[in-house]
Amino acid sequence: MPLLELRNLQRVYHTRKGAWGGKDEVHAVRDVSLSLERGRILGLVGESGCGKSTTGRMALGLEEADGGAVLFEGAPLPAAGSSDWRSLRRRMQMVFQDPLGALDRRLTIADQVAEPLVIHGIGSAAERRERVESLLHATGLRPDQGAAYPHELSGGQRQRAVLARALATGPDLLVCDEPVSALDVSIQAQVVNLLLSLQQEMGIAILFISHDLKLVGMISDEVAIMYLGRIVERGDPKALFRAPAHPYTRALLNAVPDPARRGPRPLLAGEPPNPAAQPSGCPFHPRCAMARADCTHIAPELKPIADGRLVACHLAHKGAAVAREAEAC
Amino acid sequence: MLMFVLQRLARAVLTILIVVTFAFVTLRLTSDPTLVVLGPDAPPESIAAFRLRWGLDKPIWQQFFYYVAGLMRGDFGRSMLNGADVLPMVVARILVTLKIMLPALAIGVGVGVSAGVFAALKRGTLADRMIMFLAVVGFTVPGFVLGLVLVLVFAVSLGWLPSGGNDSWSSPILPVVTLGAYWSAVLARFTRSSMIEVLGQPYILTASAKGLLWQAVVTRHALPNAAIPVVTTVGLMVGGMLAGAVVTESVFSWPGLGQLLVTSVAARDVAIVQCILLLVATTMVLSNMAVDFLYGLLDPRLRSGLH
Amino acid sequence: MTEISMTPDTSPAASPDSATDALGQSARKSIPVSIRLAIGWVALMVLTALLANLLRPYSITALDLSARLQPPVGFGGSWAHVLGTDELGRDVLSRLLVSIRVSLSLAFAATLLGVLLGAALGLMAAHFRGLVEQVVLVLIDVQAALPFIILALSVMAFIGNSQVLLVGLLALYGWERHARVVRGLALSANTQGFMLAVRQLGASPGRQYLRHLLPNISATLIVITTLAFPEIILAESGLSFLGLGVQPPMTSLGNMVGYGRAYLSNAPWIPLFPSAVIVLTTLAISTLGDWLRDKLDPTVR
Repeated sequence: MPLLELRNLQRVYHTRKGAWGGKDEVHAVRDVSLSLERGRILGLVGESGCGKSTTGRMALGLEEADGGAVLFEGAPLPAAGSSDWRSLRRRMQMVFQDPLGALDRRLTIADQVAEPLVIHGIGSAAERRERVESLLHATGLRPDQGAAYPHELSGGQRQRAVLARALATGPDLLVCDEPVSALDVSIQAQVVNLLLSLQQEMGIAILFISHDLKLVGMISDEVAIMYLGRIVERGDPKALFRAPAHPYTRALLNAVPDPARRGPRPLLAGEPPNPAAQPSGCPFHPRCAMARADCTHIAPELKPIADGRLVACHLAHKGAAVAREAEAC
Repeated sequence: MLMFVLQRLARAVLTILIVVTFAFVTLRLTSDPTLVVLGPDAPPESIAAFRLRWGLDKPIWQQFFYYVAGLMRGDFGRSMLNGADVLPMVVARILVTLKIMLPALAIGVGVGVSAGVFAALKRGTLADRMIMFLAVVGFTVPGFVLGLVLVLVFAVSLGWLPSGGNDSWSSPILPVVTLGAYWSAVLARFTRSSMIEVLGQPYILTASAKGLLWQAVVTRHALPNAAIPVVTTVGLMVGGMLAGAVVTESVFSWPGLGQLLVTSVAARDVAIVQCILLLVATTMVLSNMAVDFLYGLLDPRLRSGLH
Repeated sequence: MTEISMTPDTSPAASPDSATDALGQSARKSIPVSIRLAIGWVALMVLTALLANLLRPYSITALDLSARLQPPVGFGGSWAHVLGTDELGRDVLSRLLVSIRVSLSLAFAATLLGVLLGAALGLMAAHFRGLVEQVVLVLIDVQAALPFIILALSVMAFIGNSQVLLVGLLALYGWERHARVVRGLALSANTQGFMLAVRQLGASPGRQYLRHLLPNISATLIVITTLAFPEIILAESGLSFLGLGVQPPMTSLGNMVGYGRAYLSNAPWIPLFPSAVIVLTTLAISTLGDWLRDKLDPTVR
């Protein structure tokens, strides 16, 4: 049984078009299904506004889904804010993008790292102090940094503190929403390495959300690509990188500068998507170089292709069908 | 657009309804006007007759329905003390109060805004500091103190102006000054800070860099933008002045609505107090609504709904 | 997977920006004279309020009909009654001292209650949203539609005149502004940053608000309390002036002005001393409040 399972999640926001206008429906997340096994890393990639952060929040129960289900160890999540939900926090935690914002500037680092232990009543005061010390050590922070306030540390140090706090109760699941995007590039690698080593050591499952496909591809066991609230491709990162099946994945990979590439870089045409005004049929078709007639009015479903990957693209399906027919003959 | 207007109207109506209910309930449930008006020694027959006459023997919710029905007809009841119709009495007093309130509003806005703009333009100079000092004095000195001091100086010592009442043409002068002082001070401070904030914006610098005369920069760019938050304050002034009128009229024995309220409250004349309460609340609700709409119209950012 | 050697970060720390730090830093720089004066006056008033019963030379009801309407010392009066006497021969200084105590303690209690009430309602509106928030918003609307003095007059005259009711009514002065401010702060804190982080740690709402939100909005709360206090002093004085606030034999600043008003022409010291105290005290606290606001939270209007 997978540790975390997301089944056909939906999330719709209702907004008003200005003070005088009518209501607008924004489908932030449409029919998203994912599963994460214990101790594995699932990467979720997409542009801003594609719904990946919303999916992450729904996975933890921080936001209620409008449709579909979230199952943790086979059981649906309790309602957000209820005491059952609160005690489940021991097992699942979130790491945010902005480390300064995630920390209370009036409390010391050590106090904040200890807080989950206090909330869930774990250990005596002495035991908690020990645990905090070992957590700080494990995340590469010195004890004197534990006594400091968030604004006295650098961005990378703060994110380590946030990590230490997230790991305090020994959770089974960590959802990381752009954990290194706000950090300097040189620090990013350090924090990611720290995350990986801790993950291996403690056997934590991670849902790693980012817009950086390369990074995600390097560390994940499985990658899912999101576009306008839908998963468009999902599968083994190596296969994805070697032969991207969905045109969007191809475009994302092409966007990464590659000194070995010859010829001009194929650019993504069209405007970045507006989740409030989604195109009919395949959501990607306005920007797709290979769009066909049926792409404009039939939305492709997520179906498996030859090597087990899931793709939502009519052309990819046709290619797979052709390959299957060829095999059958 | 329609939805917004309807929602706002619904809120306004609900507010007024709550005020009416609140007034009615507190007033009726917590006092027995009969004994206050007739005195504790009144014989039981006159008590019964009084009760009957004023409908005080019926259950409370029936009284309420009669009351609201009466309001719809424009009948605000009768004064318990002299039996006259309440609404005409109150309206007559409103007109008297307006005689000092309207000039005070004019002074408040006129003096306050101009002083504020002037101080902002001459920021840091002696003139600015003096204006701000006067402004601080204006809103920390309570109305009754200012009124008394003015009476002491101009009526008692100098004898130039009357100390109270509504007898001569010069009677309104001191009450108007007293009533208008607080709000001109508040507006002066507020306008000044609003102007300073606007003048510090990059688009002002751009406008004068374009070669626009400073005067034009101020009138075309600074003033309209600075005016927006000032408008809300002016909207609040209405309620503030109504409150101020109560004290001012007491100081100057000015026979307006404020005085009527104080005497009615002392005499426990339920109908008059309720009428005044209702009128004040309605005026406030309407003026708040007007300010909201005005604000929405004036600020283009709100118009396009970037809330 | 790529590996870069893991060394602890040694980059320099960011500059401090917490409220107490800002206040501390500027306290080390010179405080303007006007602020020092304001603090001095407020301290004097607080001391007076605390020690009034020890300091006053006479009881506030001690009549001395042979020494009625005596002017203050220096204007024809004697040192027996430094600030003169009123129409019943009562010592103005003693009554003034006790009035300061009464007015200040009433205003203090009412301000605290009002801020607590407003903050609690604002928090509840922000936390529960939905129906609770709508109810609070409607209550705010209703309160905003009724100028305080008119509301107070209506209620007081019909329920009666007790010190408790007076405090209760005064506590209602301005609660809707506090509620609006706190609701706004709580709403914006709830949707981002550390409040969300703490909530998803599993903290109960009580812990979230008490341990995290309140300390972080304490600067704003201090500012709105300091700005509301002088307004409540004025409100009580106004009511007492009209004869509907503090009732005799108890005395308050507004009460003294109200009853002394009849003697404005022949014994102006009776209403003028308490008036001066009212003005100076509200001026001092307003100045302090403005200064605190500039230092702690410039976004409060």
